[in-house]
Amino acid sequence: MSQVPVTVLTGFLGAGKTTLLNRILTEHHGKKYAVVINEFGELGVDNDLVVNADEEIFEMNNGCICCTVRGDLIRILAGLMKRKDKFDGILIETTGLADPAPVAQTFFTDDDVRQRTKLDAIVTVVDARHFLEHVDDGEEAEEQVAFADVILLNKVDIVDEKQLATVEERIRKINPYAKLYRTTKSNIELSQILDRGAFDLQRILEIEPHFLHHHHDHHHEEEVGSLSFTAERPIDPDRFQRWMGELLQRKGPDIFRCKGILDVQGAPRRYVFQGVHMLMDSDWGNPWKDSDKRASKLVFIGRDLDREALKQGFESCQI
Amino acid sequence: MKLEVLNDRWAFEPPPTRSIACDAPVTACAFARNGAAAFALGDGRVRIVPADRAVDPPSDSQPLHKGVVLSLIADPAADGFISGGDDGRILQIDPDGKAVELADHRGKWIDRLSGHDKSGTFAAVAGRSAMIYGRDRQVRELGPHASTVADFDFSPDGGRIATTHYNGVTVWNLKEATQAPRQFMWKGSHLRVRWSPDTKFIATATQENDIHVWRLAQSTDMRMQGYPVKVRSLSWSADARWLFTASQPAFTAWPFAGKGPEGKPPLQFGEEGAGLMTVVLCHPREDYVAGGWDSGELQVGDFKQRRAGVLKLADKSPISCLAWSPDGRRIAAGNEDGMAFLIEIRR
Repeated sequence: MSQVPVTVLTGFLGAGKTTLLNRILTEHHGKKYAVVINEFGELGVDNDLVVNADEEIFEMNNGCICCTVRGDLIRILAGLMKRKDKFDGILIETTGLADPAPVAQTFFTDDDVRQRTKLDAIVTVVDARHFLEHVDDGEEAEEQVAFADVILLNKVDIVDEKQLATVEERIRKINPYAKLYRTTKSNIELSQILDRGAFDLQRILEIEPHFLHHHHDHHHEEEVGSLSFTAERPIDPDRFQRWMGELLQRKGPDIFRCKGILDVQGAPRRYVFQGVHMLMDSDWGNPWKDSDKRASKLVFIGRDLDREALKQGFESCQI
Repeated sequence: MKLEVLNDRWAFEPPPTRSIACDAPVTACAFARNGAAAFALGDGRVRIVPADRAVDPPSDSQPLHKGVVLSLIADPAADGFISGGDDGRILQIDPDGKAVELADHRGKWIDRLSGHDKSGTFAAVAGRSAMIYGRDRQVRELGPHASTVADFDFSPDGGRIATTHYNGVTVWNLKEATQAPRQFMWKGSHLRVRWSPDTKFIATATQENDIHVWRLAQSTDMRMQGYPVKVRSLSWSADARWLFTASQPAFTAWPFAGKGPEGKPPLQFGEEGAGLMTVVLCHPREDYVAGGWDSGELQVGDFKQRRAGVLKLADKSPISCLAWSPDGRRIAAGNEDGMAFLIEIRR
């Protein structure tokens, strides 16, 4: 059964999400997208493809304290799949203050959702003029950037280059892995934000950060940021499973996203995984070629990450 | 009275079946009081098939709903049907296929309907409320609940209604409007609810792949686990002795006769279909049960004799709905690929 790709659109109120959605619904791109907007949102177009969602988050009973899902989305996605005309994609807009985790976790936990749809990418629209204020005011702006696979730094026409550089640096400090585009009026090629395969394990080929400057390795407590680790010697799969399981159990609420490519001892293929909080998907990826330099790489984006402890933990998984 | 269906040869020679290509996913099906069948479709149409083959079916070319018809039941107060759609409308459809709008809850999806034949009442879910329509089509709103109502079921006498939502079940008394609703709490999201025909139990299926059952007299509850996916469908046998559950490879029922199911294994019988059961529905009066699988297979089982026969072989398109005719002689079914089936179990 083919799975319809789903793009999650986050960003503060006024950042430009609605402008982007209006463009997707009205431009002639030859594709058919359904758009799920939040109950406060209002699109300028009256369209059958727009569904209003009443955000309902609930906890799963599986003992995983941070495992919340969006019950309304489970219903909406099932309903959309009953339509005669199939979609090329579905976009889900979240409210300005939303934590993207429950949306992402819905795609990890619900069987029906997993069977018919797949999470493609989290796209975050950032208001270049107000981002720094939003970050200082609360956690959501930071979390939305931390979760992102693609970031639209929007409204670049109304701020000067100096402020843009400051905002970009701040974004990169939180999340150096996302694709970042500077936009005006959310004007972007749809191919840059749709069908990215950011959650597709088979497309995790390499994990390369996009640094503006040199690597920063001083982390303040409570700060949202990212850490990456490399291991040269092969990984013992049992030790890794144990370490990762224990780590997610304990630190899961603070780890927003994680991704990894592992050189498992004796295995002909790369072992790839990615997760959101405590939930993780993993699979065997591309085979190692003779010319490849085998190594393992691991990335965490989260809050208050302990570099030393993570480094030691990962190193202890090596043979 | 015996159904001939359970003759083993049926595994090889299916009963007389009408297959109807509907050209849109079949989302729900129902039989009206007069025996006509109807199939709700993913493009807004409702296809009516009269009981008498000599009668011309009404034209179904005009969509009644804008979008998907999400729910369909027999009209409990007249010949005809009631439908609900993702356009937020509730329609009353007469045997000729003409529709009258009963309500327009724009922005909400009407994905659950249920009728109570004796009282002529039916109910619909509209977001956080259940809307009750009397025989005279006077409306009463139950709610709003704290979260979306996922499903509901009438008590056997039609005097109460059990709604299900996050963290449990609410039982509303329809006769004493002033009486506060009774809450049965269990953490998590409850997706389906079915009231036992002896009124003693309320069963729900949860997001966590469990079944939860409350024993009303004692306010005690129990949980059944071990399903590989969410239990998509629940059905009590007419004598209330068995609770049938989908999402297993074969017919699966928990025993509720005597002291109840505690400490007992579920009854499982029949051939394992390919894949998992998606819909299960007990016969309105007798010891028979129909099941549909995600592989497209249809079976009917006899739970006294603990065996089952194949009505339709697998064809890869999941069965999305099932209905028994009021006389218990025919089964209607539909699949996601847009095929509707009418199967004559007994002539």
